[in-house]
This record gives sequence, structure tokens and C-alpha cells, in this order.
Amino acid sequence: MTNEDLLQERLARLEAGEPLEACLDGFPVELAEALRSAGALRSIRFPSRPAERVAAQRASLVRVAQQQQAPVSRKRLTFPSSAPGKQLMNRLVSLPRPAGVTLAGAIVVALIAAALTLSVRQPAGSNVAQDRQAAPNALPATGSPAFTVYVPAVSSVLSAPDAHSAVIAEARGVVEVQSSDGAWAAIGMRQTLSAGQRVRTGDLSAATLLFYDGSRARLGPASEIAIDALDARLDGARVVRLAQSSGESRHDVKSASAAGSQYAVHTPNGAGVAKGTSFHVLVTSNRIARFNVDEGTIAVTHLNVTVNVMAGQSSTVYVDEPPTQPVFRISGEGRVTQIGDVWTIGGRDFLVNTTVGPDNSTTEIVGDPQIGDWVFVEGRILPDDSYFADRIALLHRADENRFAFTGEVDAIGDETWTISGRAVSVNDETDIEDGIALHDLVRVEGIVQSDGTLLAERIRLVETEDGLPFEFVGVVEIAGDETWTISGVEIAIGDHTEIKGDPQVGDVVKVEGHILADGTWLADEIRLVEEDERRFEFAGTVEQIDPWVVSGVHFDTSDRTEIDDGIQVGDRVRVEGRVLDDGLWLAEEIELLDDDQPRRFEFVGRVIEIDPWIVGGLDIAVNDATQIDVGIEIGATVRVSGVILSNGTLLAESITLVDDSLGCLDIAAVVVSFDGERLVLNTGQVIDLTDEIEVFGDLQKGSVVLVRLCVGEDGAIVVVRIIVIHTPPPPPPPPGDDDDDDRSGKVTVCHIPPGNPGARHTIQVDPTAVSSHLGHGDTLGPCGDGDGDEHDEDKHDKDD
Amino acid sequence: MPESSDVDLVARAQGGDVNAIGALYDEHHESIFRYVWLRVGDRHLAEDLTGDVFMRMLNALPHYRALGLPFRAWLYRIAHNLLVDHYRRNSRRETVSLDAAEARAGDVDPVAFVERRLRVERVAVALSRLDVHQREVVALRFVAGLSLQETAQAMGRSEAAVKSLQHRGLEALRLALSEEEQVIA
Repeated sequence: MTNEDLLQERLARLEAGEPLEACLDGFPVELAEALRSAGALRSIRFPSRPAERVAAQRASLVRVAQQQQAPVSRKRLTFPSSAPGKQLMNRLVSLPRPAGVTLAGAIVVALIAAALTLSVRQPAGSNVAQDRQAAPNALPATGSPAFTVYVPAVSSVLSAPDAHSAVIAEARGVVEVQSSDGAWAAIGMRQTLSAGQRVRTGDLSAATLLFYDGSRARLGPASEIAIDALDARLDGARVVRLAQSSGESRHDVKSASAAGSQYAVHTPNGAGVAKGTSFHVLVTSNRIARFNVDEGTIAVTHLNVTVNVMAGQSSTVYVDEPPTQPVFRISGEGRVTQIGDVWTIGGRDFLVNTTVGPDNSTTEIVGDPQIGDWVFVEGRILPDDSYFADRIALLHRADENRFAFTGEVDAIGDETWTISGRAVSVNDETDIEDGIALHDLVRVEGIVQSDGTLLAERIRLVETEDGLPFEFVGVVEIAGDETWTISGVEIAIGDHTEIKGDPQVGDVVKVEGHILADGTWLADEIRLVEEDERRFEFAGTVEQIDPWVVSGVHFDTSDRTEIDDGIQVGDRVRVEGRVLDDGLWLAEEIELLDDDQPRRFEFVGRVIEIDPWIVGGLDIAVNDATQIDVGIEIGATVRVSGVILSNGTLLAESITLVDDSLGCLDIAAVVVSFDGERLVLNTGQVIDLTDEIEVFGDLQKGSVVLVRLCVGEDGAIVVVRIIVIHTPPPPPPPPGDDDDDDRSGKVTVCHIPPGNPGARHTIQVDPTAVSSHLGHGDTLGPCGDGDGDEHDEDKHDKDD
Repeated sequence: MPESSDVDLVARAQGGDVNAIGALYDEHHESIFRYVWLRVGDRHLAEDLTGDVFMRMLNALPHYRALGLPFRAWLYRIAHNLLVDHYRRNSRRETVSLDAAEARAGDVDPVAFVERRLRVERVAVALSRLDVHQREVVALRFVAGLSLQETAQAMGRSEAAVKSLQHRGLEALRLALSEEEQVIA
């Protein structure tokens, strides 16, 4: 092991939290000081930034982000069309925000399963799915957000001072508290709350309440919650009753087994109770409540109907309706290949309803995604195993078959322009900057159409004015009427060129001017200079590196020349230096100019021909320096980047394969059987475990799992990951001959007759019937002893 | 912050959720500020540049792909590039004179505040004497808190190269500190 490896090994221990002295034990003396230096660096305490400046900077960033979103926001708020998603937003922003909570209803969330201790690594898509519930609230309902209070986030460890208090463990944006006298006031980090107080968050804001027992309630933006009762004691009956009137909240509830313990979340139509689980409550402006469960199992009751919602499931409660039957959630990202009543995302079909249907199901579509775009989708698996999309959000516009290049305008037509010799179609939707004339240098972006023609979406003037400026000092070698040669550089003389001091051949002059689009160096001024003015500065296109040639000018570099990283042939650079006594140009700095300036191109398209290359209908030149991925075949999707040569040729610097996968989806399901190698899900899917499938958690019959399916462009579906998000406790032997049941392959469930939860009882069912039983509210495993207690608590809560 | 959380926030931010933009700022502004401060030596300038880093992040976010560079490494690459631009615009000289900001009124312990600041200043001076690549590795690894892999990704170098720079950088830092007879440990 080298010294570098040894040091890194100890550094890794140090970073893992091991004390410095322990890390130094047995460590070579020559390396110990380096380790000490690292430890000292890590231990430096930086004075914290003033909170008000942090808040102002953050607000500024968010404001700019909002402005960038502004066109979309305005559309959502004015609803000029029936575009998908806007109707839902219409409802969300037009209905009044509930002023308070009516407790007469009967939504009840009750904990059934004990809190899980299983540590679950959630896939990204899953978390996104939950967090995206907040997005409708991310936009201000009316007007601009008014930030009156800025409170920085603080991550230090906090705790509530006593069981009757909750401490604000996180406050972002506008967070206010309402006292018993009705007045609202700003509240910040570390301040405490007690029963009788209400907390609300503004747009783009969030707050976390930390209770004495460690339970947390996190409010999302534009949310309001009241503390009705608070006694979060560690021993005895823990009581936390909250009333959520709007917005979203996430609850991580510590387990409390003492009789009478409850963690209640009231919604506008009722109340909920839990003992220890992790769940998410969303209350929309029209009082629809959605319950998503991340860990454990809860019961949702409304209008005397109880449904059990387990990890990975969701239930929605509409006004004056019982809770919907729990359904498994599905979420993920993928490419859109079909749009309509049925969307195909990541190779899977999703039912989409852009109007409020009889069952109140509505799909919210954000960002107006189109075919080919990459979207996030979350939804539910319906009883008939079809998928319904609750939300589809644009993540990336498709970059396939897009192009962009910079060139000179050769011709302007109503339907076709010619730019640097290439025909580019324009239409009514092409965004063309005013004032573009023939011979202007423009940047054009657009789509390579299926027939290979280029359709411009945007044409912009490139701000070159008179060309790129240059100036340098050199020796006059030739002084003609139209051109001079100064230190080997041919300089054009125009009518406007000022020549000062009557320089002659052999004199040292300073010349200033501009490099025109055709590469001509046109002088604005030539004058005699003093010896100490022997400097040059110009901008141009890199034609060769080491030795350097920029826009036809050769110059030297030295160890002291500052050269920006990543400069390539074709890039535009600014070169600054001095002219040596021997006439050589020595660069002191070579600076890469703005990326918008180089005449470069990059696009993604399908390979139509190889050698000569045609990609997306465009002829592509390659040379020995072109980096080409191995394995590219005709039909493959590739990304081509390179430079546009002066004759308009597209010279590729690289041609790389683009991932053709359509996306991945996370699907929640129940393991019906597992023999160590083969997995059968309640959806009927059979999965043979291979080395290519990552498994997180202990797979067993009854486990609730998130299965990540990725779909290739050929439609092939591959399981890449399985995460166990819930493992039921081992069922006690059922009365009688349980061994026989196991051998017969039966599955134990707690059967809860609809509308009569008090009559629940344990039954054995065939694995194929598990899905339907779970669908109407039964739970896996036998009915526990505590069921009756929980039901009693539900009843008790409703009495409140 | 775990990269997985960054992935979620970035996905939301790219989907138009401005809350996620704010959350990304909340999660990373302090470490970016420390990194920038030690590089420019001026606290107020560092604050401004920190804001610039996140503005650049905002503009570049639509083009960011999680499949490439991890977000944190990507963010520090932005910070690095911004510093390069800053040096270029300002005579290409790095300043090491830390600001003389006094302890803010209301600081619980002004003496401790000044002591902390002086400590930071000593390290900044010592860091300025390192080779540019060594300084970058040391700042990313032990000031910003990036892992070896993230540092390699942010710098576009191999992990082996970063290990080597890390070793030599810490050695050089120790020498620089001892030469000034300023012991920071």
C-alpha cells in the first residue's frame, strides 16, 4: 500500500468520526503530520454568516427562480386554455383557503402496526413521489409571495424542553404562530409552542415541529396546523393531537406502546390517530385529503368506514365520501412515447384523466410534456392492475434530434433561411430576433426533422458588432494601400483606418482593429509606439494548440503563460501578451471566451450512415482526432459534438452513444411467495433473482417491496432493484394445524368486513386471492390483540 | 447531505419547484461559503461569490444530468469555475487578506469570534502558498467536506491523482503553517 493509500485509509476513518488520536495510532511518523493537518482543517469553526444576509440571498435566488418560472405560472393562473393540469390548478387556486378545522367529520388515521425499525434505503423516485405532492403549493396562489420573515435553516440538534412543548426545529421562509388571542406573529428556530397555538407557513416556506418524544411533524409550504393537545411524554400515554386545515404535512411518529397513547392528525373533515409510523397527509384547497404511508400501517376512517393503508399504499378521502380503498403507489421517471387518454411512460401505459371524473380522479400534468420528453410520474395501481397517473411532471425536454449552430445569414425567406450554406426552415412559431439582416452572424437552434431538414425554433443575433477586437504591437514589414503586414500578420486598411505618426517599414507600431467574420484583420488605428508598449491582445478561433495558432496568428507560450483549462480547437479565445525583441509573440494569458461565441455544434440524433457519417440527416465529417464510441451501429442514437469549419463542414470531435432506455418505475407490491430464488408478487409478476438485481432488506412472504423496473427502447423490462419497505412481524401459529396451512401455501390475513371493522377475524386464503383481500382493507397476518384497543381509540377520538 | 436527497431536490427543481431551489441553497450555502472564503480571503466578497455560485447553478440546472456528475461535485465545479473567472477579472491575483470584519454586535463571545477568524486567516494564508491543484484538493476535501470520489469528479481527475495531490497538499500545508510558526492544531 502506498503512502497515499495509507493516508486515505486513515482519513476515511477520521471522516467516519473516529477520534484523531485513534487514527494516529500506529501510523507512520512521516504521515502523521499530514493527518493532523487534515484533522485541524476539519476542526476549524468558521464564524457563521449573518442570518439576515443568508435569508436575503436565498430570497433573491428563489425570486429569480420564480421569474424563470413566470410564464408557466401566469398560464396556470389565467387558464387561457384547457391544457392538462390547468383545471386542477384552477380549482386549487380559486377556492378559498379553509379558515379552520371542523372536527365533525370522521377521517381517522390509526396506527395498526408497530413502528418499523427496518432501515430502508428509499429509491430516488420514491422520495420524489412523496415530495412532489407539495408542488401545487409551490406557486403562490395570489400575487407575489411576500417575505416578511426570514429564518435560516439550522441543523443543530434540538429537543423540546418538556412534554407539553414542541420546538421549531426547522423554519424556512415565512413561519408564523397564532396565539390564543388570535394574533399571528413570526416564529423562528428554537422557539417553542404549546397546546392552543397554531402554526402556518407561507408560500415557499416550511417548518418542522419536534416533540419531546422525538416525533416530528413537518409542514410544507402554504400549510396550517394547530396543536389541540400536547403531552408527548416518554413514559405513559403520549398524546399529540394536531389539526391540519390546509397544505401538506409529513409525520414521523415515534412508537408509543402505553395504553391511551395517540398521535392524532385532524383534517377539515375529521381526525386521525397514530402511535408510531411515518405517513404523509395532503389536504387540498377543496378539502380532499390524501394519505400516503411510508412505514407501518395506518387505518383511515371516514363516515364510519375504515380502510387500512400499509406502507407503499395510498388512500384518498373526498368530501362526504368514505375513504377510497387503499391502492399501491407507483412512481418513476421515463420517456413519453404516447399521449392521450392513455399515456405511455417508460414503456408502461398510464390512464390519464384531465377532467374531474365521476370518481374525482384527476391527473395533474405539469410542464406540458410532449412525446419524447422525460417525465416524472406518480400514480396508483388500480384493482384491475392498470395504472392511473395522479401526476405527470416534465423533467427534461427531449434533446434528441435537436441542433444548434452559429453561422452567417446567406438568405432570408418566408419559409426557408440559408445560414452558412445550410437551409433552415422557419415557421410561425420560430422565434426570430428583430433586425437580423443578410451577412449577420446568428445562432440558430431547432429540431432536426424526420426528413433530415432543419426547423429553426429560435434565431438570435450573435453580438459581434464589428467583429472580435484585437490590438498588438509589431514591426511594419509591408505598408501597402489596402493591406499592411505587421509582424507577419496581414492587416486590412479601410477607409476609416487612422494611421498616426507616419509609420514606415521597420517601425514599431501599435495596431488596433477587429477580426471580421471572414477572418480579415481590419485595422481601426495604426500608430507609432514607444518601446514599452510592445504588447498585443486579440480574440480569435483556436486553430492549433501547442504550438498555438489563433485566427492565423502563431505565438509562443511559456511556463508562465496562464491558459484556461479545457481549451480545444474551434474555441474562441482572447490572447494577451507581449512582443519580444526578436519579434516573437509571447502569450501571457489565453482566456476561453463565452461559450455562446464558438462556432461549435452539438446535437443528438440517429445514425443513418457510417463512414461517411450521416446523423439525424446531417453530414458529419470525422478525422483521426474524432473520438467515436465503440459499438455504434446504424440506427443507434448518438450525441455528436464538434466545430463548424469555415466552409460550413460539421467536424465531429466526438460521437458518443446515448442511453436509449425509456425510464424506470418503482412499483409497490406484496410478496406472495419467495423460495430464495424466485419471487411471486401479488400482481402476478414472477421475478427470478439474479446477480444483476439489487435487493435491499429481508425478502419474505408478506413483505411489501418497491420493485424498480427499467425499460429498454426495445420494450424489454428489466428488474434492477427490489427494496423491502415493510416486513410483517412473524405470524403466530394460527389456531389448530398451522403447519398444514403453510404446506398448503395459504396466506394468513386479518379479514375486516367492510363497514364492520369490529368483526375482524383471522382467515387463511389462497395466495392468488391476497390482492383482492388487501384491496378491500384486509391486512396481512393475523388480527393482533391490539386491534380492538386501536378501534376503541378511534372511537374515543371521534368522540372528541 | 446524502446525494440521494440532492437527487430528489434537483429533480424537483428541474421540474419547476422553486421550493427545491431554496432547499438546495439551504443545504449547500454554508460549505460553499467556507470553500470560497478560504480561496478569496475576504468574507464579504465570499458572500457575494457564494450568491453568484447559486445563481449560476440556477441557470445551469436545466442542463444538469444526474447521470453524469453528482450534484455536489457539479456545484463545486461551478464554484471553482467562478473563482477562476473572478481571479481573471481581478488581475489574476488571489488575495489572502481576510476581511477585518469585527465581531458582530451581539456575538456571545467576541474573543472566541476573533480567535476563530484568525485561525481561518492562518489557514487561508497557508493554503495560498500551495500549488493550485493541491489547494483545490485540500479545500474540497477538508473545508467543503467532499469525499475522495466527489473531489475527483469535481476536478475531473482520477481518484488516484486526487489521493496523490491530497498527500502532497497536506504535507505542503503543514510546512506552510510551520514556516509561519502558526500552529493551528
